[in-house]
Amino acid sequence: MDTTLTTILGSLANVILVLLIAPLCQGLLRKVTAFIQSRQGPPIWQAYYDLLKLLGKEDLESGDSPVMQRFAVYLSLATVLSVACLIPMGFKAPMTTAGDSILLIYLLTLSGICTLLGGLAAGSTYSLVGISRQMMIMIALEPLFAIAILVGAVHTKTFRLDTVLNGSVYEASGFPFSGLIMLGVMLLSFQAFVERVPFDTAEAETEIMEGPLMEYSGPKLAMFQYAGMVKLVIYSALFVAMFVPWGSELLLPFGWLLFWAKVFLLVLLVTVVAATHARYRIDQALRFFVSLLVVALAALGLASYGW
Amino acid sequence: MVAREKLHHLKALFGPAILRADLPDDRNLFAYVEPSAVKAVCKYIFRDLDARYITSIGVDDRPYSGTFLVAHNFAFDKDKLLCSVLTNLPADNPKIDSITEAVPGANWAEREMKDMLGIEPIGHRYLKRLVLPDGWPDNLHPLRKDMSWDHVPEEFDENREFLFDDPPEGCMVVPFGPFHPTLDEPSHFRLYVEGEMVRGCEYRGFMVHRGIEKLAESVMSYNDINMMAERICGICGCVHSVAYTQSVEAAAAIKPTPRAEYMRTIMLEIERLHSHLLWVGLACHIVGFDTLFMQSFRIREPIMWIAEKITGNRKTYALCVIGGVRWDISPDMKAELRQVLDKLEAEWQPVVAVVSKDKNIQKRTRGVGVADKTVVKDAGLLGPVARAAGVDIDVRRDHPYAAYGHVDFNVITENGGDVWSRVLVRAKEVFESIKIIRQCLEKMEEGPLQTIITDELPVGRLGLSSVEAPRGESHHFVITGENNRPRRWRVRAPTYQNLQAVPTMIKDQQIADMTISLGSIDPCFSCTDRLETIDIKSGTTRVWSHEELLKFTRSKKA
Repeated sequence: MDTTLTTILGSLANVILVLLIAPLCQGLLRKVTAFIQSRQGPPIWQAYYDLLKLLGKEDLESGDSPVMQRFAVYLSLATVLSVACLIPMGFKAPMTTAGDSILLIYLLTLSGICTLLGGLAAGSTYSLVGISRQMMIMIALEPLFAIAILVGAVHTKTFRLDTVLNGSVYEASGFPFSGLIMLGVMLLSFQAFVERVPFDTAEAETEIMEGPLMEYSGPKLAMFQYAGMVKLVIYSALFVAMFVPWGSELLLPFGWLLFWAKVFLLVLLVTVVAATHARYRIDQALRFFVSLLVVALAALGLASYGW
Repeated sequence: MVAREKLHHLKALFGPAILRADLPDDRNLFAYVEPSAVKAVCKYIFRDLDARYITSIGVDDRPYSGTFLVAHNFAFDKDKLLCSVLTNLPADNPKIDSITEAVPGANWAEREMKDMLGIEPIGHRYLKRLVLPDGWPDNLHPLRKDMSWDHVPEEFDENREFLFDDPPEGCMVVPFGPFHPTLDEPSHFRLYVEGEMVRGCEYRGFMVHRGIEKLAESVMSYNDINMMAERICGICGCVHSVAYTQSVEAAAAIKPTPRAEYMRTIMLEIERLHSHLLWVGLACHIVGFDTLFMQSFRIREPIMWIAEKITGNRKTYALCVIGGVRWDISPDMKAELRQVLDKLEAEWQPVVAVVSKDKNIQKRTRGVGVADKTVVKDAGLLGPVARAAGVDIDVRRDHPYAAYGHVDFNVITENGGDVWSRVLVRAKEVFESIKIIRQCLEKMEEGPLQTIITDELPVGRLGLSSVEAPRGESHHFVITGENNRPRRWRVRAPTYQNLQAVPTMIKDQQIADMTISLGSIDPCFSCTDRLETIDIKSGTTRVWSHEELLKFTRSKKA
């Protein structure tokens, strides 16, 4: 078959799959949270209903600059979906040739910037506090992921996506220190990448009332929330691809099922951590990220010496 | 004779300035003082005799004595003595030296006096409007007797806005309220924020006046007011009901029956249980720890059910009448209550064990919202906030009322003075409450529920009563009057004092700590805002705008 067509069809498949599964992950997360909290919890499909309900609501534009608000929403969802095309999800990533690991880093940063834009467009004091927090978090957090990719790239001596996103941090064989260290670093900071308690500081409902999202309602809120759910899946998928790639080379149904099982396990982990922690203050969060950053840089050093 | 001893101290120092004194028993002292000496006397009582400031009360006594009356109330916690320094002011020129300089906790009470009665505290540094709505004319004072309870001033200017102070230079204003998801009650803090740091704040509250005090002294009768007092607060209603009833009983020298005293104690402790469990839940929610929030609400629920079984209501127990209580607890209920308490204790123990070791919660609460002993003393802080700072006060032990004199319990104190200590104090107090209820169930004997009152209550007598609410001391002050109703009834809820210290607690802290610091005093705005105005005009305005809003939304839909 024509490679262009395969790429397009594959990308579409990835995007649709992610869009379909993301609310399910959210539903799972809510159900398990409820279980931990001795509650019944909403039905597992509730996230779909919520999105549908919000999408059907009146589209109010109440912020300072509605154009930017709109732009931020679409860009946010578009960015995470583009990332979806670059990640292997049980089979080869459909768009590996379209860009390299640097593109991936940029796209992930862009999705954070969308939240900033959205908050800036709202123009309220709370959203300003929210974006200042978001900005600080991004500055401290994004390098962690970039370093993880760099470590992989150093080991495999290439920025090619399909190589990097295939357990590259461990090289072809064996477990170098740098890879294991990065695994630890990413596990510890994972909650922050998917913006869940204890690192949901930028939104913190009880402090700054959802911060950047506070002026969003109806369909746009749905889009932002959707992007958030997709982000959870995307980061889980990235994590699986980079750190626990084993089994993906199995035959199609098995490799695929194994991949999603790993993603769901990761979502469960996120849920349990979120349900058993209190939110950190921004300064505490930053201190935590910075210490992780130091460790990550050390790992990069080790990697460049072949460890 | 502690009361007499204190009086001798005062007389020895101030001599003729102490005009007369009334010592109804050894637990109350009413000293009438020359207006010019009030400040010095209060300062002496507060600083040298180390009394705790309770509140200041203004009274329009013109129809009876031709003067205004001002009372500054103090408590000698170690001596089990409540003391009131009273002074009569001329009707035509009601001015009095402000005591706020010597007693910082009197700040609000004096501003309230100015608002509600037009009694001017001379030398008060910050006499901004505190209680009255923004559009209320300056020269009208709703608690004066010549103003009827349903008066609507012509000059009411609904467009007048409250003027906030200018923020300090370099600071951004972050509004916290009038409504905020963490509070669920209207109150408006304007935070002056520099980056993430709070440098100061201004408070505007009192948005839910319900005119309770004015109603009580204009249209209600002694036994109606119990019911209304209970509705002052959505959590600690029983506290207000008991405190009011006790203050009338103190004024009229009525002794409630022993069984009634035990009943009151049991219900007060049930109320404390559900309040503390609610608070722990909300505090966890504020710091984003929703699991414990849900768990403590689950643990709390059986308490609400048993309260409903006993009283017919989850809260608002309609318990008190003057001289007793309205209903009894049956042996079956006693047994069931015991079971509920056992279960509660068994479930709460592991929670406390886990929480007191949790590093994560400590990170958010240690060293946050600190109010040390000095702040507690100056601002007159109460309850768990004071106890968390190592100030060993508890009205239940210090001024025993109801059946608290007959039961054993510990007063829990901690030394941090921060939010974490308040968490610990409240979490542990749950066990003490369980202990108290168990002892009451054990010790209470069959007997009548009410004292028979055959005569009218005496007129013009003063009564003080303090009750330890879950948030601290609720203090009620009553002057009995004609027509089967009091002349004056003043409620001082614990949040009234605790809220005044919030600006100190949050200064130079992060915004993120603001909510938990405020939450840690367990603020109860309905208690604090209980005040006197019947603001019908702005009430209708509000209804109007609500309708407008409805109309607006409907037209948009169509």
